[in-house]
Amino acid sequence: MEEQKWPEKYPVEGKRGRKYGTVAAMKVGPMVKAAIGSSVEAQQEDKDIAYTFIECNYDEIIRAMDIVPVWTENYAGICGAKRDAQRFLERAESLNLSRSLCTYALCGLGFDEWREELGEMPPDSPWGGQARPGVMLSSGQILCDPRNKWYQAAQQFQPDVPIYNVAGLFPMYERDVDSHEIEGYYAKYITEDLRGLVKFLEEHFHKKMDWDRLWETIKLADATTDLHVECRELRKAVPTPMDTGDAMNCMVPQAFMMGTQEAYDFYRDLRDELRYKVEHKLGVVEEEKYRLVWAGGLPSWFALSDFNYFWSKGATFPVESTYNEQVYSANELDLPKTDDPLEYMAWRWIRRWTYWYDLARKRPGSEPDVERTINYIEQYDIDGIVMHEAFSCRTWHVGLIWQLNQLRKIYRDVPSLILESDIVDISSYNEADTRARIDAFIDTLEAVKSR
Amino acid sequence: MTGRYFAGVDIGSTMTKVVIMDQALVASVIGPTGPEHRKLANRVMEEALAKAQLSFDEIDYVVATGYGRINVPFADKQITEISCHARGAIYMVPGARTVIDIGGQDCKGIQVKEGRVIDFVMNDKCAAGTGRFLEVTAEELGVDLEDMGRLSLEAENRVEISSTCTVFAAQEVVARLSEGVPLADIVAGLHWAIATRIYRMVRRLKIEKEVVLTGGGAKNAGLVNALEAKLGFPAVVPTEPLLTGAMGAALLGSDMVMKATESGTSLPRRERRLDEATLFT
Repeated sequence: MEEQKWPEKYPVEGKRGRKYGTVAAMKVGPMVKAAIGSSVEAQQEDKDIAYTFIECNYDEIIRAMDIVPVWTENYAGICGAKRDAQRFLERAESLNLSRSLCTYALCGLGFDEWREELGEMPPDSPWGGQARPGVMLSSGQILCDPRNKWYQAAQQFQPDVPIYNVAGLFPMYERDVDSHEIEGYYAKYITEDLRGLVKFLEEHFHKKMDWDRLWETIKLADATTDLHVECRELRKAVPTPMDTGDAMNCMVPQAFMMGTQEAYDFYRDLRDELRYKVEHKLGVVEEEKYRLVWAGGLPSWFALSDFNYFWSKGATFPVESTYNEQVYSANELDLPKTDDPLEYMAWRWIRRWTYWYDLARKRPGSEPDVERTINYIEQYDIDGIVMHEAFSCRTWHVGLIWQLNQLRKIYRDVPSLILESDIVDISSYNEADTRARIDAFIDTLEAVKSR
Repeated sequence: MTGRYFAGVDIGSTMTKVVIMDQALVASVIGPTGPEHRKLANRVMEEALAKAQLSFDEIDYVVATGYGRINVPFADKQITEISCHARGAIYMVPGARTVIDIGGQDCKGIQVKEGRVIDFVMNDKCAAGTGRFLEVTAEELGVDLEDMGRLSLEAENRVEISSTCTVFAAQEVVARLSEGVPLADIVAGLHWAIATRIYRMVRRLKIEKEVVLTGGGAKNAGLVNALEAKLGFPAVVPTEPLLTGAMGAALLGSDMVMKATESGTSLPRRERRLDEATLFT
């Protein structure tokens, strides 16, 4: 087969063995490093810093108030990716915290305990360390159960740092209940919850919210999401111009930088790159044999090279469910008109989380996660499903098998692979075994395709 | 004999299996895979050739499988255990729909439809649910591994082994012995525990008849009995379950060569030299 001809603007060779990754994804590492560096500088400059979680519906609020976010899950992921999480996990373990708690939380708690004990960053902290916060914005969001307990536990080491807990509720899926009938109650609750957050931040940091600026930040975030949605749509092309290996990097601006010009510019550049690659049929691999969906689970951050292994077999991931929960354009959510930015954020939040509910209710036996996977299979021309059971992540762990079984029952047999490891804890990972499973999965895909 | 011979080499974690086939099994050799033996697949192959009274040049195609498949320098191709076990099981039991392979250090469930693999599950991280579990506990009990299955069938009141970890299960066994629990009841409990773990994993697949048991575990009557009880119906154990993977490898090699011949092409072959693997030297 003739080798693809790649333009100079989007070179073949990237960093870290990334052969056909996007140029945009290569910018992510430096962006995250700079963000972490600037949060460490912010601490030195006594700026307003908050511990934050992704997908908690407060991104625009903190950006509009010039509060520097420290994304604690992100920092644990960085430690994992740099294969430098074990020493923090061991610290947490010596505090008698169970190894089977969320390892993001364990890594973060181990780090905090050490930093507070030393009065400075632990030695050789990855990318300068995790800055000490002025407040911690936890979440009782049903997405992820350890989030409110994490910061409560962190208060053991930094008792002077107050917490505001954002409930972040949304209606649970019930087959026989139309969520539209009850979402108004949730919207009222969330609006007031966010109003309480603004008040808390105003009081703690002695500054007032500029409501016009909040609206502008919301508009910028919505425009950024629209670009991200466009990127996801472009990935439907055959061959796909970008896969999940890259998406696990390219989610960073969506998850950690929403409401910033930097995030907008990132997705604009990524969109332009993908448009070019689609137009010129430049794929992730030279010969795309199998198209897969990453249908559940966070990746092992220390083993992202497993995606390269899939690529070496001609397998790509044009789409994934992970980190896509909030990537729906506000324009297609049919949001009620309002002059209150907090009410707008509340409705947008609910409609994004319930995005698949109506479709799921139309298909007997379906439910939102299953419906999403079925839609991805059809829209992205998918041959197989891959999931990752990260042992310490209950959010993603629970229900994966059920989803696969249900999908088979109401839709059709699709070859599937469940990888087993963790997000941060490298001791759970065996590269040889993982790759043996991938080999066997590729054999299965081949057998099914050649039927 | 058709005059065309195919070899399958299955390097498992505890046993190395080599078969030579034409349309049927011509010769087979089973030997241990110790640290010293991993690099000696060539010697097992030599033995199989001698049994078949063939020279290596007469072998059309060699396929290696098993976790040590990359350590077979004379193999023309490597194919995963999943594909090979499925092919071997279908050859021996044409109505096979589910294959459960219980190996020394891993366990696999394979779902087969119209002669092809459509899904699989594997346990390769934990000794519980593999032959290793019985090996460790047999040692703790001072019972020969080969006698464990028979002994389990003599149980009158099977005990529950609650530990899910092999190491802790071995400790639990010692505690039960000191309580005066009959050996057969403990051994039956161990077999039930391993069958439960295997069944729990394989249930992820749609288990359909015929269920074929392969690997060393299928030679253990107590384990087969316990698994059948979990399944709720009898399973099929081929005559030589240990050879399933190697036979599947040889048969897949044959399939590939025949397909290439039909299309007027040929497959690349390695030089027929029986070298040691250099990976460990």
